[in-house]
Amino acid sequence: MATSSETISETAAIPARKKAHGEDYFTYVEGVGSIPRDIYKYVKSDPLGDLPRYSVHIVIQHLLIFITFMFLVTTGLPIYFSDVFWAPAAISFFGGIDSARLIHRIAGFTMMFAAAYHVVTIAAGTLRQLLNGQFDYKRTQIPRLKDLYDLIHDLKYFLGIEAHRPKMEKFMYKQKLHYLAIIWGSLVLIAAGSALLFPDIMAKIIPGTLGKILPEGAIGAESYSAFFQSLARLMHADEAVMALIVVAFWHWSNVHLVPGRFPMQWTFLTGKITREHQIEEHFLEYLNNLREIPEEREYMRNLLAELRLDASPAKPSPDRQTSAAQPEESGSEDSP
Amino acid sequence: MCHRHRLAGRIDENGKRWNYNIDEAIYNHSVHRNIECRDCHSYITKIPHEPVTDVINCANQCHIKPPFAQQNFSHQKIVDLYNQSAHGITASDPEILKQAKPYCKFCHSNPLYTKISEERVSFAETLARCLNCHPESGVTQAYMHMTHRLRKRTSRSSREIVELCAKCHQDVALMKKLKVSATAQDAVDTYNQSIHGKLVRLGSEKAANCVNCHASSGLHDIYKKDDARGTIYKENLMKTCQQCHARPTEWFVGIAVHPTAKHRDSPLVFFMSIFLRLSLYGAVLTMVGLMLFETYGRRREGVKLVLKKGTSWHGQSKTGPPKEK
Repeated sequence: MATSSETISETAAIPARKKAHGEDYFTYVEGVGSIPRDIYKYVKSDPLGDLPRYSVHIVIQHLLIFITFMFLVTTGLPIYFSDVFWAPAAISFFGGIDSARLIHRIAGFTMMFAAAYHVVTIAAGTLRQLLNGQFDYKRTQIPRLKDLYDLIHDLKYFLGIEAHRPKMEKFMYKQKLHYLAIIWGSLVLIAAGSALLFPDIMAKIIPGTLGKILPEGAIGAESYSAFFQSLARLMHADEAVMALIVVAFWHWSNVHLVPGRFPMQWTFLTGKITREHQIEEHFLEYLNNLREIPEEREYMRNLLAELRLDASPAKPSPDRQTSAAQPEESGSEDSP
Repeated sequence: MCHRHRLAGRIDENGKRWNYNIDEAIYNHSVHRNIECRDCHSYITKIPHEPVTDVINCANQCHIKPPFAQQNFSHQKIVDLYNQSAHGITASDPEILKQAKPYCKFCHSNPLYTKISEERVSFAETLARCLNCHPESGVTQAYMHMTHRLRKRTSRSSREIVELCAKCHQDVALMKKLKVSATAQDAVDTYNQSIHGKLVRLGSEKAANCVNCHASSGLHDIYKKDDARGTIYKENLMKTCQQCHARPTEWFVGIAVHPTAKHRDSPLVFFMSIFLRLSLYGAVLTMVGLMLFETYGRRREGVKLVLKKGTSWHGQSKTGPPKEK
């Protein structure tokens, strides 16, 4: 869109879609103009990130969790799958079983520290926002019914039924799902891990308490202690394997392999998100950014002016329509 | 004398080869290095000897007199203990069981022990093992500086002990033939699934092996779990667990050391494991499927793999109007 001739065809295309997809297509922002929903295809983005997303605390927490997760997985898996051929090699890499167990525990406690640090960060941030009257639950990880509608909307978009992606908040449905899964997984792993590390203490707490409440033999012939220890053994390993598979095949794909993120999404180091990503998947958060960041307002106003969308969208004329349609036919051949 | 010769041996009627060679260099480093052949092979009265039909008896007295002892040394004490244990042969045993039960030589092959741990074993623990055979008098003078093998653990590693017991106990067909209980039939498998078993398999000396729980310091007094003398008898469990776990409670000793996730023994854990496995597959397939579907949808709208020149939307949308480059 550097030359003026391209800008003209661009201008022609966008209002044409407005008619096709209804009024929802434009979002009017005071002092900026009407922003089309697919503006993310036209903005300039820095791969390192343009807009704030995570504070430095969250970045540190992510790094802590990332490093400890690696140690936990590499020491934990060979213990659980102790009969596979690579298990002894992995264990001797860490200097024998005793030091591997020690590393696993240190990493576990460090991860628990990171989790506690995260809770403190979130609590303090929420408190500050509440005191300033800025708290908006829509910008948090709290699940809403809208997330379900967003998911359905998004699936329709991927199918080609809907024209645009849903307007989503700072955290979209899949991030909220993952966050809830992490909360659940952490609680299970901490509880079950404590039962494996301190079987004598935990046996007194959990089956010791439940055994007094529940009648004898409510779970069959097994004793409560045996049941809960077996459960801990099962859950600790199963949750860990699930976490590993989800991280390896889903999380890493999402931040490394998905188009637009390859080879790496830098958010986890810089704490910033790219402009196109923010507008595409977190449009409502982008509107917040526009409100809060004057430079971003400036950028978007200039972009809209460049695209001639600032005041009144130009009416598409027939000859411009055809000139715009021509490159599509030649261009679509190289797209898969 | 004769057995020093390398090729001493014979081929018996069935074609099996027997090697009668004894390598002095090895024997002189074994635990029985100070014992003469005749002390154990007492039925040999003349050289060259008659074909051997008897087996050795470890309860024999050998011509070694331990310090402060009145009698020649003998393994009699431990043999008596062993004969009372679950492995001891009783008159009421069926013939098949009598043959299956191991005797001294099954486990003790006069091996060359290697040091398995640099840690010194506490004196009390060493003493407890000394007293299995030796009288207590003169212990402090004589044994404290002599029992190197016991102070530094030079014996079978935990892993080797499990392998030794598994020789018979993992043989499910044999165990079924001997009519042992269903729990005992897969005791080795369930142990290997426990945290003790896993750690021992990976070389841990801290985790409990078979003998740690099933025998006292006497090592040979293995009893069935309904025998009040046994370490795994219900009343004795607390003391047994306490060897490693500092604060056992009645709830703690209820934990299954041989855990099983089989339907028969613990249906709840069994169904839980199936449920967890299904939810694992469900979650992963759903999430990865959603990601692939999302990528398909976004690719169609013109997104490209790499963010370059400020945008990753280089491509052409297939549904919407064209986008200029």
